[in-house]
Amino acid sequence: MTRPQTKTLASAALFAAGAVFLAWSAYIPIKAAVAQVLLEQAWQRTLTGDQTAKPWPWADTWPVARIAVPRLNRSAIVLHGASGQAMAFGPGHMTATPAIGAPGTAVIAAHRDTHFRFVKDLALGDTIEVATADGDVRDFVVSATKIVHAESSGLNPTLAGATGTTLALVTCYPFDAIAHGPLRYVVFADLVPEEKLLPS
Amino acid sequence: MFQFDYADADYMRSVWLERISSALQLLTALTITLATLSFSHYASAQTTNATTEAGPRLTLTKMSDVGSGGLLLKSQYDGYFLEAPALATDVDISVNGLIARTKITQRFENPSQAWVEGVYVFPLPDNSAVDTLRMQIGDRFIEGQIKERQEARRVYEAARDAGQRASLIEQGRPNMFTNSVANIGPGETVIVQIEYQEMIRYDGAQFHLRFPMVVGPRFIPPVDAQLVSYGTAENTQIVYRDPVPDADRITPPVLHPTQGQQNPIDLTVYLNAGIPIEQIRSAHHDIKVKREDENGAKISFVHQDEVANRDFELVWQTKSGNKPLTALFKETRDGKTYIAGFVVPPKDSAAEARQSRETIFVIDNSGSMGGASILQAKESLLYALTTLVEGDRFNVIRFDDTTDSVFRTPQLVSGQSIAVAKRYIENLEAEGGTMMLPALQSALNDTSVEIDDEERLRQVVFLTDGAIGNEAQLFEEIDRSLGRSRLFTVGIGSAPNSYFMSRAARLGRGTFTHIGSERQVKERMAALLSKLSAPVMTGVSVSTRDAAAAEIWPNPLPDLYAGEPIVFTAMVAEEAPRFTIRGQTLKGAWSTRLSVKDAETASGVARIWARNKIASLEEWRFQGANLTTIDTQVLAVALEHDLVTRLTSLVAVDHDVARPAQTRLETQDVPLNLPEGWDFDKVFGEQVPTRRASYQSPEAKVMLASLDTSSTSATGAIGDDTQGLALPQGSTDRWLLLIIGLACMIGGLVMSVLQWREISAASRRELI
Repeated sequence: MTRPQTKTLASAALFAAGAVFLAWSAYIPIKAAVAQVLLEQAWQRTLTGDQTAKPWPWADTWPVARIAVPRLNRSAIVLHGASGQAMAFGPGHMTATPAIGAPGTAVIAAHRDTHFRFVKDLALGDTIEVATADGDVRDFVVSATKIVHAESSGLNPTLAGATGTTLALVTCYPFDAIAHGPLRYVVFADLVPEEKLLPS
Repeated sequence: MFQFDYADADYMRSVWLERISSALQLLTALTITLATLSFSHYASAQTTNATTEAGPRLTLTKMSDVGSGGLLLKSQYDGYFLEAPALATDVDISVNGLIARTKITQRFENPSQAWVEGVYVFPLPDNSAVDTLRMQIGDRFIEGQIKERQEARRVYEAARDAGQRASLIEQGRPNMFTNSVANIGPGETVIVQIEYQEMIRYDGAQFHLRFPMVVGPRFIPPVDAQLVSYGTAENTQIVYRDPVPDADRITPPVLHPTQGQQNPIDLTVYLNAGIPIEQIRSAHHDIKVKREDENGAKISFVHQDEVANRDFELVWQTKSGNKPLTALFKETRDGKTYIAGFVVPPKDSAAEARQSRETIFVIDNSGSMGGASILQAKESLLYALTTLVEGDRFNVIRFDDTTDSVFRTPQLVSGQSIAVAKRYIENLEAEGGTMMLPALQSALNDTSVEIDDEERLRQVVFLTDGAIGNEAQLFEEIDRSLGRSRLFTVGIGSAPNSYFMSRAARLGRGTFTHIGSERQVKERMAALLSKLSAPVMTGVSVSTRDAAAAEIWPNPLPDLYAGEPIVFTAMVAEEAPRFTIRGQTLKGAWSTRLSVKDAETASGVARIWARNKIASLEEWRFQGANLTTIDTQVLAVALEHDLVTRLTSLVAVDHDVARPAQTRLETQDVPLNLPEGWDFDKVFGEQVPTRRASYQSPEAKVMLASLDTSSTSATGAIGDDTQGLALPQGSTDRWLLLIIGLACMIGGLVMSVLQWREISAASRRELI
């Protein structure tokens, strides 16, 4: 094989590889977005009583809650379990933590470049609306944010904020990093007690 | 072609072209490597990515990746699993007369690649006095120290977090302990030794030694809500009471039978009965008996592959026959003399007239009784029905998460009523939860007053495996509602909760028995039913001339049923006091005297006395005594005698730091075998209203919220524990992939452009 031929092949290979990577890169957000559409349908079934409504037949996870931030006009269906597979499709509720809306701190994790892109824009006092499978819709208010190390987060799910029921939204930090890192950004939101919602 | 062209700038250009093209090739190779790396990274360790420079990566496995071999448990990372710590147990029991000293060696092996804290929940006899903990690392031994429970935990946790090896023995129930072993390195083994003493049980002219091997899965009743009114309607509140506040600590994971059995166990008994032995039997294990002399024997397992899945029960008979048996043992410790006394009162030969009875049988048909247990329980009950005579009243109550009875009220024995009850019992199936309290309440509910029929003896025979976590709640109920009834417990199955059986019987002023196989049904039930007639001795007391000179436990001494001895322990001030033992028999007052001068010296008496004292004090708790006073007294005795109790723990800490800083420690439970004969699906089918469910119930929410008053800061979930929850990966590779993709395309583009220029340059030259 002569040199020009080698070079032609090499440049073709580079083009092809580039195309694959670009497609792959595009596939991640597309998958994340498409999954949310399917999850939205599964969620409707969940609300009608199917506790583990699978979004597609071979799924190993199912919707457990729906979170929405009215100010940022964002919402997402939260999945059971925060394994890598589940988090490709939606925010995952870590099974090692209390159920969402139960006493203690329920941890929901998602990728900062897909479903939790909005997390960096959350500000203290923002309201997060949380709908759970039992049909309840409760408000949580952002009470704190913190940057922690993933392996030593110090986060104890049995503890909670002032109202006893806290939600922690976890995503990667820094927000604009290219590669994975050890730091996590945690947004704490405390349950708004029902009484406060009543007109006084 | 252009290699031959030395002269001009074209040459230089070709050199550059070559350089650029090799650089691009290099870039391609690099990109592909990077991509591969990043892909494997993404696929295999998406949640464990955040490894710091200092520590090695934790090797976790996904369930779908499991090939074979090791047992996997959930790790702290969602969706990932870690090989469970393996355990092997070695038990040496030395029996000297009526006192047994047991040494348990637990070998914890960590087959995983992570640093592990192993947590093992294990049973011991309910009257065991644990006093020694020793941790072996290599050829060094670290002795455990007795400390107050919280202090011991602080010491242990500090050592654990600092990376030192440590072991902590805590009591969950008097017959259930937890051993936490911190910082077992990848592939390492840590050995922990525990020692305790106990008194041998004597009943029906036989000596009984029981060694439980596995804690059967316990049913945890849900939190119950009660309305409490403080005078006015506005001040009425719902109060939530969790019947098992420590449920998380007593519910270790249980292996599904398809996962095989773990925890191999080897056991040896060195028996020295003190008197000639006639017969030695083991009820549930095949044993080899090597007789050393007529008083002694060495007993070991026939099979090398026994696993910890059922109680070991050794029964021996001596040649003493029916002669009254008396024995006194003493030990001097810290200037105090401790006595253990043992008296078998002479048999009452007078044939007593049979008093008519009202017997309430209660049978547990919850899921944990599934398999062999329910068969044994049914057979025991059917046998018991045959011993009822005309004129007796009876009823049969069954319970799982519901309670129900054959008859609404106790019925007179007749061919018809017995037939109805038999059919009812035969149709029972074991399923559902174990809500024991309502069944106990209805059994103790004495309806004889309403029909003016109080002459009968009222007895409750309670057949269960005791697989519940709310013992305290049940004990309180027995003490409150006993009235003139007497409660007899029958521990069914291969791994009954003996603590529940014995204490419930004591508070119920009855006695208990164990039935662990169908072979034992007839013999044991017959013995129990003969006891049911009436206690052979009541009002038992032990005294010395100077009452202040001796502290005698248990207090009060229980009523004696046929075949049972009087067993007491005392701490005496005098050198050689004499004990007077009194009691009421059916024939009248009985008494005997014992002199300490005749006592044999035996080690362990002091600690048995201490354990008896603690057991009695704890019993008073259920009878409404002042809790603070009890705690103070229990603590004092426990610390003086180095005993593990509800308030004290043993902790051993190695001074060396083993685990490198920044390396994570994974906490893993040692999984337990399902007790032999139990039905996994029945047991865990029953777990519907358990911890996790109640965790989310509104009652539990209120309760847990009220516990969390300490953490009111904004980031309330950040506790003192520096490690905390391991958080999953929070970003995808999309930007990295995009950059790599763009780099590749730009590279390819640059290369083609250069190539095109090169080709056109060459063709230009050719034209010239």
